[in-house]
Amino acid sequence: MTTEQGERTTSPTSPASPASPMAAIDDGYRSFLQRAHVDRTTGRMLVLTVLTFTVFAALNPQVFLNPLNLQNIAVASPEIGVLAIAMMLAMLTGGIDLSLVAIANLSAITISTTYTAIASGNPSLAESLTPVLVLEGVLVGLVAGAVNGVLVSRAGITPILATLGTMQVFNGIAVAWTGGSTLYGLPKSLANMGMATVAGVPVLFVIFLLVAGAMGLFVARTPAGLRTQLQGANPVAAKFSGIDSASVLMRTYMVAGTLGGLAGVLFVTRNPIASADYGASYVLLIIVIAVLGGTNPSGGFATVAGVVLATLTLQILASGFTAMRLSAYEYAIAQGVILILVMITDQMRLRRRRRRRQAGPDKVAPQTTDKTLTSGR
Amino acid sequence: MSSVSTTQITGTSLELLRRLRGPNNEGALALILVGLVIVTSIANPAFFTVPTMFSVLRNSIVPLIFALGVLVVIISGGIDVSFPAIASFAAYSTVRAAQEFFDPGLIGAFAFALGLGALLGLVNGIVIARFRLPTLIVTLGSQGVFIGVLLTYVGSEYVAQLPGSLASLSKTNLLEVSSGGRGAFLPVMVIPAILLSVLVTWLLRRTMFGRGVYAIGGDVEAARRAGFPVVRIQLLIYVLVGMMAATAGVIFTIMGRSASPRDLVGIELDIIAAVVLGGASIFGGRGSVLGTLLGVLIVQVIGSSLILAGVPSAWQRAAVGFLLLVGVGVQAVAARRSARHRRVVRTEEVVA
Repeated sequence: MTTEQGERTTSPTSPASPASPMAAIDDGYRSFLQRAHVDRTTGRMLVLTVLTFTVFAALNPQVFLNPLNLQNIAVASPEIGVLAIAMMLAMLTGGIDLSLVAIANLSAITISTTYTAIASGNPSLAESLTPVLVLEGVLVGLVAGAVNGVLVSRAGITPILATLGTMQVFNGIAVAWTGGSTLYGLPKSLANMGMATVAGVPVLFVIFLLVAGAMGLFVARTPAGLRTQLQGANPVAAKFSGIDSASVLMRTYMVAGTLGGLAGVLFVTRNPIASADYGASYVLLIIVIAVLGGTNPSGGFATVAGVVLATLTLQILASGFTAMRLSAYEYAIAQGVILILVMITDQMRLRRRRRRRQAGPDKVAPQTTDKTLTSGR
Repeated sequence: MSSVSTTQITGTSLELLRRLRGPNNEGALALILVGLVIVTSIANPAFFTVPTMFSVLRNSIVPLIFALGVLVVIISGGIDVSFPAIASFAAYSTVRAAQEFFDPGLIGAFAFALGLGALLGLVNGIVIARFRLPTLIVTLGSQGVFIGVLLTYVGSEYVAQLPGSLASLSKTNLLEVSSGGRGAFLPVMVIPAILLSVLVTWLLRRTMFGRGVYAIGGDVEAARRAGFPVVRIQLLIYVLVGMMAATAGVIFTIMGRSASPRDLVGIELDIIAAVVLGGASIFGGRGSVLGTLLGVLIVQVIGSSLILAGVPSAWQRAAVGFLLLVGVGVQAVAARRSARHRRVVRTEEVVA
């Protein structure tokens, strides 16, 4: 316990590392975090979210602080956030799911095609079947996730390759099905829901928070969630602790797929179109969000709160870029740079911690405290 | 006594089979390729003609050069998805630079592109080797950066007119055969593809660098303790991939007779699928140039036979994905079975 605290207080300003912006932020808000009992990554994320918001609000307040802009952020975040949470789940087990965006599009296309087919005969029936259509979209995600699950857990294919393959298969099916065109037929009630607000907060955002809450409870509070974490932290140890890895992986990819299907529903709710190549840039984006939100890509650690905050940060960044009249390509550059910087920072911190542990806490702790004191704070 | 001799005979025939199969199932792949060609030719006689064969070869040139680079990464236990971005970056920047300033000639153009490719590869290599980060995620990020920088700062317009030195090569053919009224031609760009295959084979099999690549792919820690300069080798690997990608990009531009920064986006899966189908293990430590060549040809043959069969091109993406899944699935199941087999043998030994 004492070593744990020693690490926590000394690591950010350890002389071994160049002063990175993340470390500086960690440093400044450490005391606040300790008081708030928020865990470290989530805390860092919260600070980053507020910081990003403040910077863009200061740079261009008229455009950025416009209620319409804020509402746009809240409406655009849910679909990306749900996908990022799904990605986080796959990464929690040490895997990855590259097929999520393809699953979401497949779900959106299924909803649209079914609606159009029913509406051509009986428009009011199609409209009244909206809940069934939503369920259908989610179900498509579940089935697609089950395909991934079987490939990863039963056939034993590496998740990267399995989902790279299924991404292509799902996407191919979507392209062939739509003939590459955009579909417009969608129930009006969904579009209305996309525009509705509860006390000024868009319904879509409320749905996002509910999903995030449920997944947060699942990961942190249920035995199944704990097993998922253990599987990612150390597959061998998990196996010898009697955890059925195959069924944990199967369930993870099924849940991820279901979330992908739900994201498809959110796609068509926000924007009443469905097409095979919607959100092509989301694959990189959701990985950036998951990693920025504190998910360890090699498994074992992730928090939903961190991912939710990372989603908001990236959306704020996107809308800030738009407000500053920067292009989508510049946003892509920012995403790539953020992803690599965050991973480097995390890796440096992990290494420092490991080195200190190897050197023995008793010898090193006072020394580092010393340097911390002299580092001029 | 007799039982011993039969086991010996089955032993030698097994040995022969094993040698035919090759260390990475090259024999099996060759069989699949021949089988595919035969089946497609029977189904559609138009397939077994010189023009179609040449077209398969022609379409294999660029994927093969990409695949050779990716092969080296995969053998080392990594995965790279940024190579199409590097290729676009290098080729498109070269064309634009030649337009803006002066035509540097063929050698100059290649040198410029190779330099850019090496530089971008070095960026990947530094991040991956220095910080030991997951290669897929790093290259996914760097790919976004490369494409973003290319489209923002270099340009995004389609260039229809290549600089003279490159354009002159576009129509140079190594071999021209006219058969049945249709001309069949094999562009001169086959030569660099063959040369590079030989070069990578030599690198992998005859140099210390090659040994190091296999060693790192087998077990990084073991390679380190055996004295391989792991960081330096990894840096070299990504620089090499960058240069291969740049070469492929320029050749793609020459053969396509135009330059666009978006043409190669999305090609990565086809290439990775071909390399993995070619027997390279995604966990590293295994793979060969011959297998990769066969993998590339199989993907191309399947592609062109689907076209001949009248399958819409939209399904081809799904077909390649499916192919990848089957290829990797077979590998995974075989690996699991051999692991189980080994375990059984070991327990038997213990019992004995």
